[in-house]
Amino acid sequence: MTHFPTWSRRDAIRMAAWLTAAAGTPVAARSVVRKAARGGPALKGDAAFLDAVSQTMIPRTATPGGGDVHTGAFVAMALAHGLHGARQPLAADTTSALRAYARPDGSLDHIAWLRGALDRRAAPSFLAATPARRHTALAALDAEAFAAGGDHHPWHVVKALILTGYYTSEAGGSQELRYEAVPGRYDPDLPVTPQTRAISNDWTAVDFG
Amino acid sequence: MDFDAIVVGSGITGGWAAKELTEAGLKVLMIERGREIVHGQDYTTEMKDPWDMPFRGEGDKALYDREYQVQSRNRHFTEYTQNHFVNDAQNPYVMGDGTDFTWFRSYQLGGRSLTWGRQSYRWSDYDFGANKRDGHGTDWPIRYADLAPWYDKVEQFIGVSGAKEGLKQLPDGQFQPGMALNVVEQHARSAIAQRWPERVLTIGRTANMTEAKPDEGRTACQNRSICARGCSFGAYFSTQSSTLPAAQKTGRLTVITDAVVEALDHDAATGRVTGVRYIDTKTKTRRTATAKIVFLNAGSFNSVQILLNSGGERGLANGSGVLGTHIMDHANTLSAMALMPGFEGHTTFGNRPTGVIIPRYRNMDTMDGVGHTRGFSFQGGALQSTWTQGNRLAGIGADYKAKLRQPGPWRMVLVGFADCVPRETNRLTLDRSRTDPNGLPLLKVDFAFGKEELAALAQAKAEASEMLTAAGGKVMMGFDRPGPGGTAIHEMGGARMGHDPKTSVLNKWSQAHEVPNLFVTDGAQMSSSACQNPSLTYMALTARAANTAVGMLREGKI
Repeated sequence: MTHFPTWSRRDAIRMAAWLTAAAGTPVAARSVVRKAARGGPALKGDAAFLDAVSQTMIPRTATPGGGDVHTGAFVAMALAHGLHGARQPLAADTTSALRAYARPDGSLDHIAWLRGALDRRAAPSFLAATPARRHTALAALDAEAFAAGGDHHPWHVVKALILTGYYTSEAGGSQELRYEAVPGRYDPDLPVTPQTRAISNDWTAVDFG
Repeated sequence: MDFDAIVVGSGITGGWAAKELTEAGLKVLMIERGREIVHGQDYTTEMKDPWDMPFRGEGDKALYDREYQVQSRNRHFTEYTQNHFVNDAQNPYVMGDGTDFTWFRSYQLGGRSLTWGRQSYRWSDYDFGANKRDGHGTDWPIRYADLAPWYDKVEQFIGVSGAKEGLKQLPDGQFQPGMALNVVEQHARSAIAQRWPERVLTIGRTANMTEAKPDEGRTACQNRSICARGCSFGAYFSTQSSTLPAAQKTGRLTVITDAVVEALDHDAATGRVTGVRYIDTKTKTRRTATAKIVFLNAGSFNSVQILLNSGGERGLANGSGVLGTHIMDHANTLSAMALMPGFEGHTTFGNRPTGVIIPRYRNMDTMDGVGHTRGFSFQGGALQSTWTQGNRLAGIGADYKAKLRQPGPWRMVLVGFADCVPRETNRLTLDRSRTDPNGLPLLKVDFAFGKEELAALAQAKAEASEMLTAAGGKVMMGFDRPGPGGTAIHEMGGARMGHDPKTSVLNKWSQAHEVPNLFVTDGAQMSSSACQNPSLTYMALTARAANTAVGMLREGKI
């Protein structure tokens, strides 16, 4: 499983690569979600649940939040297609609690696992909880993943995909951050001001984080 | 079909061969195994935004695991560029026991000129003299002076931007103004030079233009850094942007795509090639074309494959028995990465399409390498994080979102490239027991790095770390083990150039010792690897060989 809190060799090599509804999810992608999630039919409501998680992780501020731009549909599709190692078999030393959410192919059903983990923390139901309770529940899960020994925690995969889904959406990429399709020039030294926003399509930076 | 010359392949060197030969007055056939890609109109993802892409640019991992297992390991392979790489499932090759070799390929008009890294460096006499000095491989029959005017010609035509530094190990060329070092790189250059004057950090010399060539319809680089999608601005060198239009302008070029050359036809009585046999992959029919001379520019390994599959069991032009041997690729790894504190108030604008280079400084006039006799260089650069830093940041909610709104910390990276020693055991052969979908025997790769490369990368790791530390960096990680062979995408050799027909395939004109009207001018001809990118040298050798071939043809020598 990919682990994110520390640099992996792959992260590092990718970084060396220089060298080197708002947007919503395209119709074709939504179709793929319906067909391919969990290696079979998607469960009704997966995208809505993931939208709620995305909105809690990246809330609406002056710009739309994760759920507002339908990040959930992208995450569901990405999990089904194995992005960020989502379809790799669980490690041999995986706990039985986690193994309970294994797919037939041996990989983790991240959505089912996440539902279980968040419903427990926002009992009886994450989706039925208030935004404040959702925040508390997800913050606790995030803290668990970033605690010592949490490098292989499955939340890292979902968090990474929510980041991708949001910041590659039109609102996330070009309203929350700055998107310049054709910069036309290179300025090698500019001051950072309170108005400075990160460039969402600084591809080298995207590759290495 | 009868031509003056046949050029097999349309990539970086095939385009040059076609340009030079047609401009000299020859009627030329260029044969490309892949599909046609028309400049501009067929760069289908070039103008796409991430939200236009089904997988937001990351691509369908499930598909890649099934059909692009090798190509998806290429650093330029993304959802935007996957159409510029081969489907591995349809283009198999074989690896020998213990070999892990990632053979990255682009079978299409323009070949890898569409996806290359564009780094354009001259080789020096340290490189052309390397084999003679330490006894590995066979001596190059040329030196820098033989190639210097051809480097001039190529650089001026393709458009190379860079900074002149007056270095013996990385000769200056005909550069357009170099791209700018950013604030952190400029600081690192000064800090490194202060302590080690012989170590020069300079901007990458890249075939991305900083000045337009309006007469050729080429615009200066727009700093998008999405080159491998194809560039309608024509701002980087590719066959489509540069050499192909020049060749077409003569009216003497015929291009056939979707045509896989299976072998060269050879007349044993005259000792010459008469043309090529190829498979029209759309109709699955076999065809032939004839010509007075043939230039093999199919790509290093593919050119060797064609030679091995021609002229009988032993292959063509292989009296020496060295055909296929002494293949190389740079040993390549991330030598050091460091956080660069102190620049939090600085940022940049634009996606500069090149990094920096620190050219070789070991084993030049003093043999000061530890456990190795050749060179290593570094490429890399300094850059700021963007939203993907959120992967490593704990937290959620509005505060988390706000943290990602501004550029993140500066980091600097140095990637080591070590000279690869030519070895007889690193070689290509044909596995005639297995065939590809065209019915052609599969290429088998046997390859391993040796103690020399490992020693060079160990020294590179230590010295990269000390340089970044001297520049104020906090080193986070570094490696001294190379990636698999092929990682540097500089696979070369297999039909090496040399003085002696008994120990080499080609003479100093890239001409087969045994077949005077056959020229091999892609990476297959290389006798050593140097430690800087080879494509510019391939182009210069091609232009030189084309000039020689035309002269010989006119004099009736071939």
